[in-house]
Amino acid sequence: MARRPGSFISVAQPVRSFWSRFAFALLLAGAFTLMLLGKADVLLVERFRTGVADVVAPVLEVLSRPAASVADTVAAMRRLRDLRVENERLRVDNGRLERWQHVARRLEAENKALRALNNFVSEPGTSFVTARVIADAGGAFVRSAMISAGADQGVRRGLAAVTGEGLVGGVVDVGQRHARVLLITDLNSQIPVVVERTRDPAVLAGDNTRLPRLVYLPQNAQVLAGDRIVTSGHGGVFPPGLPIGVVTSIVESTIKITPYVDWNRLEYVRLVDYGLGGVVKPSSGTPPFSLMGQDRAGRGSALKPDPQ
Amino acid sequence: MRMTATQRVDLWLRHATPIALTVLLAILSVVPIGVPGYATVVPAYTAMAAFYWAVFRPDLQPPFALFLVGVLQDILAATPLGMTALSLMVVHGLALSQRRAFLGKPFALAWLGFLLIHGLSALLIWLLASMLVLQPIGPEPAVFQYLVTVTLFPLVAWIFVRMHRYVVR
Repeated sequence: MARRPGSFISVAQPVRSFWSRFAFALLLAGAFTLMLLGKADVLLVERFRTGVADVVAPVLEVLSRPAASVADTVAAMRRLRDLRVENERLRVDNGRLERWQHVARRLEAENKALRALNNFVSEPGTSFVTARVIADAGGAFVRSAMISAGADQGVRRGLAAVTGEGLVGGVVDVGQRHARVLLITDLNSQIPVVVERTRDPAVLAGDNTRLPRLVYLPQNAQVLAGDRIVTSGHGGVFPPGLPIGVVTSIVESTIKITPYVDWNRLEYVRLVDYGLGGVVKPSSGTPPFSLMGQDRAGRGSALKPDPQ
Repeated sequence: MRMTATQRVDLWLRHATPIALTVLLAILSVVPIGVPGYATVVPAYTAMAAFYWAVFRPDLQPPFALFLVGVLQDILAATPLGMTALSLMVVHGLALSQRRAFLGKPFALAWLGFLLIHGLSALLIWLLASMLVLQPIGPEPAVFQYLVTVTLFPLVAWIFVRMHRYVVR
C-alpha cells in the first residue's frame, strides 16, 4: 500500500515504534524490580507466588503422572532383568539385617530402661503427610521440589521432608494445595548436623551440586570417608538423628557428603511433623498458614499418627 | 473482507498458538521425568521459543505476554522472581533486532544466532543470580544447561517449524 503523506499510518508508525521500545524498556525495568522485590522478601510478592503456584499445581500434578509412569515402566523392566542377582543380594542383606534387628531390639529395650531410670523427657509424638513430587525444578540455580500437599493437608513451614533413605529437605513455602521443599543440596540450605561416630557438630551447606559440603567443623575434628552424617537437632528445625548421608571425599578442608536420597527417584516424600516450633519463621507479617496452625488436630484427617 | 465468527475464532486461536506453546513449555520444563540429573540441566525451552517466534513471527509474541510467561516459569521453578522473565526479554529483544540476518537464510545461521544470543542472556542471568546470593555460583550447571539447550535447539525448532507451517500459518 502506497503511503500518502499525512495519512494515518505515516503518523502512527513512529509513535507505535516509540511505544513498543518504551514498553520493552519498561518490561526490562519491571523484571529488575521483581528481582529486587523478591530479594527483599515482600509479603505481597510471596502471596502472589504461592497463589499462582496453587493454581498451576493441579496441572502439574496431572502432567507429572504420565511422566512418572513412563519412568516406572522403564525401572520395572530393568528390575525384571536383574531379578535373580537382586534376589541373591537381598538374601544376604536380609541375613545381615536380621542380626542388626536383634541388636536394635536389645538397644531399644536398654534405652527404654535407662530412660525410665533418668526421667527422660520424651520427644513429642510425630505425625506425617505423604505427598507426591509434582515439579522438580531449579535449572542451574535452585534445588527445590514442589509437592502435592499444602495447608489443606496440614503442611506447615519447617516440616522435615524425608524418604525411606534419609532427609530430603525442609518445607519453605506453603500454599493451599502445594508446598515447596528446599532440598539439602540447595545453595540456601544450611542444616545443623553431627558426625555420627565422633559426635562432632557441623553445618551441612548445599552448593547446588549433588554433593553438599560440611562446614564449621571443630578444629580438632577427625572425619573419615564413610562417616555417617545425621541431623543434630540444633536450632529446633529438624529432630536429631535423621540420616542425611556419608562422607565420600575429603580434599584439604573440603568435606563432601553424598546424600542417601536418590534424587533421580524422588517421587514421594514424607513430611514429618515432630511438633517442633523451629527457627524457620515467616519473613514478615502473618503467614498464610497460621490459620490452620491451631485447629490442625481438629481437621487433620490427612495426618495419621506415626505407627512407631 | 468480513469474516464469520468461526473464522475469527479460528484465526484468534491460530495467532494465540505461539504464546500458548511457550506457556506449555514453561510448565513442561518443571515436570519431573525421572532422567538422572535432568532437573539440573533442564534445557531452557522457553528461550528457544522466544528466539524462534521473535525471528519468524514477532507480531505473535507480544513482549508483555512473554514477560508473564517468564514470571510464571520463575514461580514454578522457584528461581528468583523476574530472572527468567528478564532472560526471555533479552533473547526476544536481541533476536528481534537481528532478525533480518536470519530470515530466509539456512537454518544453521539461525542456530548460530541462537547460540550467541542465548549465550549472552545465560551469562547475564548467571551474573545476576550470583549477585542475588552475594557469591559466585558454581558455573558448571549453568554451562551444562547452556550446552544442552543449544544442542537440543534444532529438535525443538523443528517442532516450532511444524507448528508455524500447519497451525499458525
